[in-house]
Amino acid sequence: MAVLPVYEVFARAKHDEPLKHVGSVNAADDELAKAYAWTLYDEESWVEMCVVPRAAIVPITAHGRLPVWGN
Amino acid sequence: MSNAVVREFESLEGMPTATAEGLHNLLWALADTKLLLGYHYGEWTFGTPELEAAVASCSLSQSELGHARLLHALLKKHWGDDAETVAERREPAEFANIAFLDQPVDGWPAFVAMNAVVDLAATRVLATLQGSAFKPLRMSVDKMLDEERHHAHHGRGWFRTLGRRGGEDAEQLRVAAGNALATVAVWLGPPDDPGDRALVAAGIRNRPALEVLAALADDLRQLALEAGVGVPAPVPAVFNGWNPRTRRAAGSTGPADDILFHLRGDANALFKVGE
Repeated sequence: MAVLPVYEVFARAKHDEPLKHVGSVNAADDELAKAYAWTLYDEESWVEMCVVPRAAIVPITAHGRLPVWGN
Repeated sequence: MSNAVVREFESLEGMPTATAEGLHNLLWALADTKLLLGYHYGEWTFGTPELEAAVASCSLSQSELGHARLLHALLKKHWGDDAETVAERREPAEFANIAFLDQPVDGWPAFVAMNAVVDLAATRVLATLQGSAFKPLRMSVDKMLDEERHHAHHGRGWFRTLGRRGGEDAEQLRVAAGNALATVAVWLGPPDDPGDRALVAAGIRNRPALEVLAALADDLRQLALEAGVGVPAPVPAVFNGWNPRTRRAAGSTGPADDILFHLRGDANALFKVGE
């Protein structure tokens, strides 16, 4: 069975608040990710919500390590 | 585009009879379609291919039922129609929903066709009411269209997913989408429908039904191309005995008894408050 891509979900509840990470969804494409994020993370009336394919995220710190010099 | 000054209506007062009747029929058609969409999406809260789709389907059901309630409120305020009473008393053939929703949605490809074609058809009709000369409609329409964006994302996303998978899934989707479009064509009505023409002339809707059908067929062609699904050639709609109130041709029998039994809550009528 094919593994679906993971999308990270970000949202803000007020215009003057920063975007925050609210969760993630598995979806076959961007449009399904949008529908899933909107319907799954509906605990607030978000003024902005977006999804980012996890594969597009460039890590700065290595997973599970403190961001000390030399990582 | 015409530059004619369009009169705005706060109510039905002063609205020509044919226009008021056309609007009455159109609002019932949208309300019934949304009621049935809400029922079928609700049924598909379980049995979806993945958990996210189950949550989405439940959410789509809630918004369709919410839209039906909004339309019912307009029908009550301006025509005195009590939706609950009307729903209880109507015969199946009197329901004005898109006929694709008359029967159980018996598989995921059919669900996707309902979402991507039938739901979108109702949304495209709603979009013709944006900026309507009938002011009480305007705010409701914008709210509904805003929510319908998520329905469209879900429908298109799954259409592409099934199409790209190919094989039996894609073939079932192709057949279901063709059936859905055929029922939508009848529901939209014949090109010479006086009610449709009266609504466009009065500025209550901004496009006639024929243009809605053409736009919808284009949507579907484009989506099918992206998904790699062949779309059957459109079958000319047969409007023999077409009734503007029910938007059905002769012989169309309406929602199945089992669906209406659950929609009306017959089994639980005993528990109704105030009865």
